[in-house]
Amino acid sequence: METSQAMNQALMKRKRNGQINIKSGNKIDSAVKWTIWVLTVLTVISFFFFDYTGLQLERAITETAHNLRVMFLEPGLSHFGWGEAFYQVGITLGLGVLATVFGAIIALFLSLMAAENLSKPWLSKTIRIIVAFIRAVPTVLWVLIFAIAAGLGSEAAVLGMLFHSVAYLVKAFSEAIEEVNPGIIEALRATGSSWWHIVVHGVLPSTFTYLLSWTFLRFEINFSVAVAMGAAAGAGGIGFELFMASGFYFDLREVGFITYAILIIAIVLEVISTRLKNRYFPSSVKA
Amino acid sequence: MPLLKVEGLGKLYDGETKVLRDVNFEVEAGEFLSIIGPSGAGKSTLLRCINRMVEISEGKVIFDDLDVGEMRKKELRKLRTNIGMIFQHYNLVPRLTVIENVLHGRFGYKSTLQGVFARFTEEEKERAFFLLDKLGIAEHAYKRCDQLSGGQQQRVGICRALIQEPKLILCDEPIASLDPNSSKVIMDYLKQISTEMGITCLVNLHQVDVAKEYADRIIGLKKGEIVFDGPSKLLYEDQIENIYGIETRELITV
Ligand SMILES: Nc1ncnc2c1ncn2[C@@H]1O[C@H](COP(=O)(O)OP(=O)(O)OP(=O)(O)O)[C@@H](O)[C@H]1O
Ligand SMILES: [Mg+2]
Repeated sequence: METSQAMNQALMKRKRNGQINIKSGNKIDSAVKWTIWVLTVLTVISFFFFDYTGLQLERAITETAHNLRVMFLEPGLSHFGWGEAFYQVGITLGLGVLATVFGAIIALFLSLMAAENLSKPWLSKTIRIIVAFIRAVPTVLWVLIFAIAAGLGSEAAVLGMLFHSVAYLVKAFSEAIEEVNPGIIEALRATGSSWWHIVVHGVLPSTFTYLLSWTFLRFEINFSVAVAMGAAAGAGGIGFELFMASGFYFDLREVGFITYAILIIAIVLEVISTRLKNRYFPSSVKA
Repeated sequence: MPLLKVEGLGKLYDGETKVLRDVNFEVEAGEFLSIIGPSGAGKSTLLRCINRMVEISEGKVIFDDLDVGEMRKKELRKLRTNIGMIFQHYNLVPRLTVIENVLHGRFGYKSTLQGVFARFTEEEKERAFFLLDKLGIAEHAYKRCDQLSGGQQQRVGICRALIQEPKLILCDEPIASLDPNSSKVIMDYLKQISTEMGITCLVNLHQVDVAKEYADRIIGLKKGEIVFDGPSKLLYEDQIENIYGIETRELITV
């Protein structure tokens, strides 16, 4: 009894004031703590270095409030009608669908080569590294890179979104494929099935719902990216109208209207994808 | 001429530890043979060397006068159509129907396109129903496999192996996940297959009494070596103790 007490004493970590520590106190914890502290201090300090000339706080606040009120309480269309609005939303959705569908198809083939249980180690590693690199570069940058060749516009936007979608989906798909029970693959292999038989009749039936859910998740992302690309890369659609309404006509009512339109679609997509997730994803992937 | 001949078979997974060493035995067509041995003895590895689901490191496996170790991709697929395999966890595709899973056993005979588009002939489908009926689960043919009990799933697994029209069936602990009743049903079917259809059966088992009851012949494996090979009725208590080690036997009986 006494020896075990002594053992525990030796194992316990104490804070400087003598209390027993319940965090393991590893390097990562303290690094996170320090980062947060430094950032907080820097933020506070930076407030003292802003250029405040010409700022009338009172006027700024009332005008902002007024603008926001006009935007969100009195939304309306002035430069184009409802039909045009729907058409532009349709274009943005179209950009998203195009990038997602093509992305999913390409990603499916690549993920079969990237999944360790279906592929050779060197091939799977190569694809993973390339795909990780593509994912690390933001979509907007890919769009701008493709704009060099295709010119700013919807082509560059779709290509850039496609590129990033493929990279994202290859990772998601190949991980889903690797979750397939190895016994299923073994059993099919033992009947003399070829690789394609195993993929089509063993792997795909077991993962199809995951793949579909991931694709939809990506569509949700692609929709918001398509809105941003409309403005940033001149890809057209509702994002471009938003850009024109705010930066060109200073039409706050229209900005409000467009924002609501985007919000509603985003909510619809979010609801559908949450349902899909709850229904088809195992709890391990949900997080 | 024996159906299967294993000569000096050795297996290393990592280049160091020998999982199998100098394994020699022959199996005649129609034999019902059981392999017993403690966990990690290499039973599963031995079975998988026969249809080359794992590569052979040393020695030879001769099946039907052909050297399994020398086979290339196409010949290997052909070999595997001749050897059915049954697993502890059934290894069916859970989201597909029973009949689809049974027909998977025909892929070995199909070209890539035929298989991908599931072009099965009417005879194959009829044969599948015939086999399901023979194993008493024809009524479940259109159910998804994950809706069946373990014993029923194992019978689907047997049908999948039988539709291959194999000469040999390898069973890796076919009853380890089943209750005693379903175990008996499965073992009875396996025995029936071997006597009625003349298909050779190699069955890995954990239960010595089951092996003694069903098998004509037993091979005892211990640390990758054969320590017993003979008719079931000649497997006496002292040999069982030798295979499993005295300590473990005492643990079970006490
Ligand atoms: N894929 C593998 N890679 C490396 N080592 C393996 C592999 N498969 C099996 N082994 C090792 O080979 C040895 C024999 O394994 P095997 O599965 O053949 O034993 P077993 O007799 O079937 O055991 P059990 O009764 O538990 O199924 C074990 O020590 C195991 O760790
Ligand atoms: Mg085993």
